[in-house]
Amino acid sequence: MTDLGRRIARRLGDATFERVAAVGAENASTNRPRIGQSLLELAQPPLGKGDTAIVIGAGPSLHRRRSLERLAATGYSGAVVAVDGALGACLRQGIVPHLIVTVDPHPERIVRWFGDPGLTAPSADDYFRRQEMDPAHAEDELAANRELLQLVDRYGPHMRVAIATCASPAVVDRCEKAGMRLYWWNPMYDDYDQPDSLSRRLHAENGLPCLNGGGNVGTAAWVVSHAVLGKTRIGLVGLDFGYAPGTSFTRTQYYPELRDMFGDRFTEAFIHVENPFLGETWFTDPAYYWFRDVFLGMAREADCRTFNCTEGGVLFGDGVPMVALEAFVEERGA
Amino acid sequence: MNDYLKGNYKLDAKIEEPAETVTDTTDEFEKKALARLGGSICFVSKKGFLWTGDGNDGPRTADRTPAR
Repeated sequence: MTDLGRRIARRLGDATFERVAAVGAENASTNRPRIGQSLLELAQPPLGKGDTAIVIGAGPSLHRRRSLERLAATGYSGAVVAVDGALGACLRQGIVPHLIVTVDPHPERIVRWFGDPGLTAPSADDYFRRQEMDPAHAEDELAANRELLQLVDRYGPHMRVAIATCASPAVVDRCEKAGMRLYWWNPMYDDYDQPDSLSRRLHAENGLPCLNGGGNVGTAAWVVSHAVLGKTRIGLVGLDFGYAPGTSFTRTQYYPELRDMFGDRFTEAFIHVENPFLGETWFTDPAYYWFRDVFLGMAREADCRTFNCTEGGVLFGDGVPMVALEAFVEERGA
Repeated sequence: MNDYLKGNYKLDAKIEEPAETVTDTTDEFEKKALARLGGSICFVSKKGFLWTGDGNDGPRTADRTPAR
C-alpha cells in the first residue's frame, strides 16, 4: 500500500478553497435578497430537551446499523440535527429533525435531498444511483424523489434549515416553497484577519456569522450543534467518513475522479483503517480522510463532549470515543 | 544520465536535453487530483468555530427581508 491517499489528503485544504470559493461567493450574491434570519437566532429558544444533540450524517452505517430505527425506539428527546443527505432517511423513519444543515454549492445535485420538483426522468448524472448515502435513490430515483417531495412538503413547516449563503438557489427555492424556516450563515472560507479575506468581505456585505465547517456538511452540523445551539453532549450517527468492507470502489464518492486521474492505479489512493469498535477494516478516500483528521483536531478544541455512535467508519481517536447509540441516549458510560 | 549510458559509437546529430526535467509521475497525479478532489466547505485552521465580526456586532437584520 502506498501513502498516496494520505499525501493528497494533507493538501486538500487549499484545494477545497479553489473548488468552492468562486461559486460560493457567486451564490451568496444571488441569494442576498432572500437572506432573512441569521444562524445565531437558532440559539434561543433551545431546540430539543436538555444539553444533548444527535447529529445525523448520511454515511453507510446509518442503514447498515439501522441507526434511525434504533434512535426512534429509544424515545430520545434531545435536539436532532441532520445533514441534507440524511433528510429523506429521517422522514421515512418518522424522525423530523429540528434542524437540517446544507452547505454544498453544487448547482443541481443538492436539491435532490429535499425532493427535486424538476426531476421528471432519470438523471444523466449517476451520482444518486451510484451513491449509498441514500439507497432509496439508487433503487428507483424517480419514485424516491416523488416520495421525498411529499414528505418534505408535509413536514417542511416543522423544520428549520441552517443554510449556507453558498447554497444553490435551487435549494433555496425548494426549502422556501416547502415552508421551511431558513437561518443563514457564511462558510468561513479563509483567515478573516487577512485584509483580502473572502470571509471578511461576505460578513461585511451581509452581516452573517462565518462558520468553520471542517470540509463537509457533517462536520458543519456538529459545529452548529455546539457553537450555535449550545449543546454540550453530542452523539454522531452516520458520520463514517469511509466505506464499509466489501464496498465496490465504483460506489464510492470520488470514484469517477480517481479513476480518471489515476487509471489502473486508482486503488492506491484509498486508505485502509482498522475500526476497533467492530474489528473491521474500512477504507476511505483522500477527501474523507482529510475530513476525519480535521474533525479530530476540531473536537479537541470544542467546548463539548462528542461521542461517535456511528458504529462504523473511520472517525475515532482522542476526544471522540465510539459508543453504542443506546448507551449514548441512556447516558451509560457516555 | 550520461554517466550511466555510454555507447561505443558517436552520433552525427546533436541531441539536446529538454529544458524542463520530467515531473515525477506521482507528483503529476497529485496535482491533477487536487484540482478535482476536495470538500464542500473549507476548513480554516486555528480560527475558532464561529466568527461574528470584530466588534461583537452580531447579526445585522435591518437590511434583510424577514424570515418566512
